Amino acid sequence: MEVFSFGIIHLVMSFVGVVIGIIFGSLPGMTATMAIAIFLPLTYAYDLITSLFLLLGLYVGGISGGLIPAILINIPGTPSSICTGFDGFPMAKRGEGLRALRIGITASLVGGLISLVCLWFFTPPLARVAINFSAIEKFLIIVFALTIIAALSKGSMIKGVFAGFMGVFISLIGQFADNNRMRMVPDLFRVDLRMGFNLLPVLIGLFALVQIFQEAEKGMKEEHQQIDMNHQTKKFSFKDFKGQTFNLIRSGIIGTFVGVLPGVGGSAASLLSYSQAKSMSKHPEKFGTGCVDGLVASEGANNGLTGGALIPLLSLGIPGDSTTAVLIGAFMLQGIQVGPLFITNNPAIWNTILVAMGIANLFMYIVMFYPIKHIVKVINFPKTRIYPVIILLCTVGSYATQNGNMFDVWAMLFFGLVGYVLAKFKFSIPSFLIGFILGRDLEKYFVDSIKGSGGDLMTFFNRPIGNVIWVLIVISLLYSFYDEHRTKKQARKDAKR
Amino acid sequence: MGILAFLAIIMLLERAYTCKKQNKPFFNFKDYHFFEKNWDKVRLPGTLLLLVLYFPAMNLIGFLPASIIFIFLLNVLFVGLNQLASIPVAFKTKQFWSNHDFRSLLISLIISVVSSTLIWFLFGRMFKITLP
Repeated sequence: MEVFSFGIIHLVMSFVGVVIGIIFGSLPGMTATMAIAIFLPLTYAYDLITSLFLLLGLYVGGISGGLIPAILINIPGTPSSICTGFDGFPMAKRGEGLRALRIGITASLVGGLISLVCLWFFTPPLARVAINFSAIEKFLIIVFALTIIAALSKGSMIKGVFAGFMGVFISLIGQFADNNRMRMVPDLFRVDLRMGFNLLPVLIGLFALVQIFQEAEKGMKEEHQQIDMNHQTKKFSFKDFKGQTFNLIRSGIIGTFVGVLPGVGGSAASLLSYSQAKSMSKHPEKFGTGCVDGLVASEGANNGLTGGALIPLLSLGIPGDSTTAVLIGAFMLQGIQVGPLFITNNPAIWNTILVAMGIANLFMYIVMFYPIKHIVKVINFPKTRIYPVIILLCTVGSYATQNGNMFDVWAMLFFGLVGYVLAKFKFSIPSFLIGFILGRDLEKYFVDSIKGSGGDLMTFFNRPIGNVIWVLIVISLLYSFYDEHRTKKQARKDAKR
Repeated sequence: MGILAFLAIIMLLERAYTCKKQNKPFFNFKDYHFFEKNWDKVRLPGTLLLLVLYFPAMNLIGFLPASIIFIFLLNVLFVGLNQLASIPVAFKTKQFWSNHDFRSLLISLIISVVSSTLIWFLFGRMFKITLP
């Protein structure tokens, strides 16, 4: 068995990644995705193993850091901490801020480790099944991923699908591999767009510039609040977790499961876990008043997401969320194809990912648990000072994508504007990105399937595994319609009240 | 393209149905606002303008000088252009650091010089990444 090896430099990179990730996560408006997108170009200088330690550190740190502003100022630092403030903030208000933070951090660690076990346990068998997939099943799996986007575009299903297919459409710009003809490329950009738009400028534009434009539109208002961490009425104790074992495990598993579903996002994990904890609690009325159960449910689930989102990425080549969509970029940059053969062909990298995730979770705990009193000051960093530096990093990152191409910098700005307009019309940006990433493969597998069958479209219904995926697609679509109908009905009820 | 057109038609039909049900006009430009209420008419266009000028400036004067200038300008834009009024006052009173607004300008300058130089050194020199 091929084993992995790592040295002090990898630990340092993981530590750096976790610290920077926590800073990004704890600043409202900045996300783990943004952190990875900005630091991805730095990985040009490293091999894949070193890069993975850095990027997974950023991922775990970025997701975990979101609990700080959620608990202290009731503004989730990341979407995945959306429910953390429901109970964390009331605790902070009654002088238990430090206790709430430490409970959240411990729950995050447990959630992260549960998802790591799931990742280790479920990815290889899923990949073994996927190895037998032909182009037909691969095509259908991508269609399934796109229908899940629809299922989770709450209240705007068609817009979610539209954004996904728009991403597919944009990804097809450039040379068509089968006949080497250029498609949808103006003469002016024939050279720059020969291979289509590069992933990195697209995602930097969509996840970093859009945020800056939106903040600029709002006037970059800083919401400073004084946080008093010196007068604590109740201290943290591990006894706080008495009776929370089932809640912790369930939340970690819910987070992992939600992470597996492409395009769902952390907010859904947090909400689902929170609502489950509330419905199964003996004291649901205490939720929202500073109840430990709610805090544990939210934080256990959002860190559970980290390992879960890597399962479809590493076994099927489909990103589980926007952050893992960015991680695909890291593999692409190093010339490594993620998908069913990934574990078989790269056992050392697979083992490294597991170790890097574990170490990142442990670092997150060490970095956050003890010095949390000092870390909380991070949320007072003024955005007005950070955003210009981020613009600088984005520019350098985009330029470096193809070893120095100004076109990519302009592409970043273009996609920043595209994302800004999409968000204005309530089109989902993660759906657009997932469509963009999967678009080329969708077309490739479709063409390969058609070629293999001599042009017979019925080939998509002739294989047993394919038919199972069709059933999943139909279930996903039916659920989408049902959920859309239910959400709208609820909205009408709320409007009448 | 066909799928996008199909989805666009569904969206339009959906909107037409909703508008009819709620007795609203299909096109309602009067109540429609692309930008949010009280949007910042300086920072948003200013950001775009500075970005559009920054990219070619890197080719013209080099990465480091262009970055220092534009990161400084972005800092000033984001913090607030009213700080600029402190320049003559600070020079007149010879109070630089104690003048709140002028100090903010100095901080902007420090941030732009330090961050640009650090990134130039880390990316360009240490990691040998091609810079604009």
